[in-house]
Amino acid sequence: MSTVLDNLVSQPYQHGFVTDIESETAPKGLSEDTIRMISAKKNEPEWLLKFRLNAYQHWLQMTEPQWPNVKYPQIDFQAISYYAAPKPKLKKSMDEVDPELLRTFEKLGVPMHERAALAGVAVDVIFDSVSVTTTYREKLAEVGIIFCSISEAVQHHPDLVRQYMGSVVPVTDNYYAALNSAVFTDGSFCFIPKGVKCPMELSTYFRINTQDSGQFERTLIIAEDDATVSYLEGCTAPKFDTNQLHAAVVELVALERADIKYSTVQNWYAGDENGIGGIYNFVTKRGLCKGNHSKISWTQVETGSAITWKYPSCVLLGDHSIGEFYSVALTNHRQQADTGTKMIHVGRHTRSTIISKGISAGHSHNSYRGLVKVGPKAAGARNFSQCDSMLIGQQCSANTFPYIQVQNPTAQIEHEATTSKIGEDQLFYFQSRGISTEEAVSMIINGFCKEVFQQLPMEFAVEATKLLGLKLEGSVG
Amino acid sequence: MAIASSIDWIAQLIANHTVPVVQSSHFQQLRAQALEQAHRLMLPTTAQEEWRFTDLSPLLRLQFKQAHTQPDESVLDVSSWQIPEATLRVTLIDGVFSPEHSSINQLPVGLTILPLVQALDTHGAAIEAHLRKHSKDDDLFVALNNAFLQHGLFIHVAAGVKLTAPIHLLCVARTDAVVTHPRIILIADRESACCVIEDYVSASASDYLTNVMGDVSLAQGAELRHIKVQRESIDAFHVANYAVDVAREAHYISQTMSFGARLSRHKQVVTQNGEAAKITTDGLAWIEGRQLADTHTVMDHSKGYGQCNQAHKTIVGGAAHAVFNGKIFVRTGAQLTDSSQQSRNLLLSPRAHVDTQPQLEIFADDVKCAHGATVGQLDEESLFYLISRGLPELQARNLLTYAFAADLIDRIPVPSLVAQLSQSVMARTGAAS
Repeated sequence: MSTVLDNLVSQPYQHGFVTDIESETAPKGLSEDTIRMISAKKNEPEWLLKFRLNAYQHWLQMTEPQWPNVKYPQIDFQAISYYAAPKPKLKKSMDEVDPELLRTFEKLGVPMHERAALAGVAVDVIFDSVSVTTTYREKLAEVGIIFCSISEAVQHHPDLVRQYMGSVVPVTDNYYAALNSAVFTDGSFCFIPKGVKCPMELSTYFRINTQDSGQFERTLIIAEDDATVSYLEGCTAPKFDTNQLHAAVVELVALERADIKYSTVQNWYAGDENGIGGIYNFVTKRGLCKGNHSKISWTQVETGSAITWKYPSCVLLGDHSIGEFYSVALTNHRQQADTGTKMIHVGRHTRSTIISKGISAGHSHNSYRGLVKVGPKAAGARNFSQCDSMLIGQQCSANTFPYIQVQNPTAQIEHEATTSKIGEDQLFYFQSRGISTEEAVSMIINGFCKEVFQQLPMEFAVEATKLLGLKLEGSVG
Repeated sequence: MAIASSIDWIAQLIANHTVPVVQSSHFQQLRAQALEQAHRLMLPTTAQEEWRFTDLSPLLRLQFKQAHTQPDESVLDVSSWQIPEATLRVTLIDGVFSPEHSSINQLPVGLTILPLVQALDTHGAAIEAHLRKHSKDDDLFVALNNAFLQHGLFIHVAAGVKLTAPIHLLCVARTDAVVTHPRIILIADRESACCVIEDYVSASASDYLTNVMGDVSLAQGAELRHIKVQRESIDAFHVANYAVDVAREAHYISQTMSFGARLSRHKQVVTQNGEAAKITTDGLAWIEGRQLADTHTVMDHSKGYGQCNQAHKTIVGGAAHAVFNGKIFVRTGAQLTDSSQQSRNLLLSPRAHVDTQPQLEIFADDVKCAHGATVGQLDEESLFYLISRGLPELQARNLLTYAFAADLIDRIPVPSLVAQLSQSVMARTGAAS
């Protein structure tokens, strides 16, 4: 049984290739000059430079958080290159994109360009720090949707960016958010105007390609009154034996009756079986349900990264607003994940649902950390949380740290958590029906995660199932 | 009084307290080390995760003095707190043993009950073997209790002795602004059985601080029922730290009822050191006004086949604040552990406030662990049902509130104590009307 599982959980990383593209990298190190350099390179307006420098000043005052249940050596922030851009830039159409780059995306299976047409997905691709291409822009523009890289948004829609950037995650929010605010280089920007239902799934692919570079992207999605959007995010990185830092910030704003669905499949390089290399994924994601009856839904499938530290959260400000969080976090080998969510109920009759599934195998550590907070004015608030853990092997750990803080007596909060393993009897049952152990394990895990996968858009659901399969299924299965 | 700084406050607390020398050099050394540690430590603040929701700064407004060395036994009527089932009774008045109100002269064979001050001399070795359990904690209250180790209670049940009648420890606060550091040592030898009721009451004292510590050991196959009733004065501060060791096949049953104190903290660390040990813990905190009740528990399964069943309930009225933090650790190799935890919280008023944090940390794969937490108010449908049967709304509310707590109270197998507690909580729901 254990050898089978060992084989099952030891699948090689498939996206670990390095693309040989000339890139323009800033010298290592962080200082005001670096920030000025980034800002100048991107031809940014004065207010944004001020925003960055302000964030940098705050960052200098802050200390690295120690509370997550993860261990890693001290990060040397001066050994990171804060800007890496593929060269040459400034392309007018997809044909001008470096063919090497396109091959990379083919290898990754990114449904870009013609595949995008088939899949009906508009893609913004972020390579290292810079947005490479955005497909389907015209078609989206017809209905008034702005979907572009955040650098372009700064140039063409500065008022929108200025109004909303930092409004959900302030520069002082936490150590990595402050760092990101100071040095972010690119990311996606998406604006859905009043009453528009986005006709297709929007998608961004992130890839870190350069050794010693950090990726600091920033995503900002704004859905105006009655607007609806579904947004997908995918991440990969090549294999390096050094650790790279990924500190992103994602901000979502939902106005009256708006609906934002944000799905992530995170498959950054996780390091090898001895824990050498891999991405440190320290991400701040937060959505603000500003309007009444608005809804923000986070779905994440976390399979990669050496360390994941991430809590996609919802601030439920508007009355009757809804927050949802569906998560599958799989850790293997020496991976560490400390992930969960925060649901802050401020408005009346706000509702939230948390479904978290943690699977830990090998020597990994998997923690769920969550906060459900009901403010004194959140009359009739309702929360349901369920966090289930599955352990495979005797060297791993699964932890749950839920915080529940209630200041209103009309709130109704339920939280439950269970821990289980793949039972011998379950496997025996499958085998007695003629199903091999590998398939049985895969089916049990998929069944365990089903409630979350159901929330993913179609293409992603297929990809996520395959990804979990990749991480856990044996060469036989 | 003005707010003192943490350092001044601790310095004053230490300066106001003296303890006579004991024979054993071990205890002298323990006190000295703890005293030195207390000088180094600060009063915990909300910046510390362990004290995040419990603000101790009200303590800084008060000055506490040491109790008299001789108990003030004059005209004290303890009859209302007496438990008829408990023929053996020890009374501490302001933390000091009171012979007049105790009855421990006729002990069954195999049972030792002694005031700690005496046991430190006569049973030094046994105490020494069980005292080290809190040593890892860098906690001011633990340090202070160790530094002033003197009064308290020592109970030892010899192997195979099974007692049916409960032992009642009554701690009465009589004097205002006194600090006491009682230490309770319970040792249950192999295959023994007993029941201890620890009871904190107040005879019109206010603004006092009880800083109790308990060291509890269960040897193989022992069964110990440990009931704690905290009904301190509404102006009092109560801090309790318990360390419990449970050996193979032993069964520890803990029932903690917290009603009193302006600020109370109950910390209990239960370590399952042997296989197939069983732990059952019930906790109830019923508070109102501006009370704060903080319960921190740790169930540490370090050996396999352990069972733990924990139920914690809070009823919070007024502008009161309940805090619960329940950790369950399942260490590597503690396979086939079956541990469950329930935290249920009932909020009665718009200003009531609860922070609950169940926590699981699991390092073994073949275990069954579950925890659940709920926060809510009285069920409207149940309320409607009772009203439709002709009950006035207020009475219906009180009945449902009482019912929420009653299952935990009813599980105490001491009828007169159940009656006392039921009466006082009934009076409470009545008073709330």
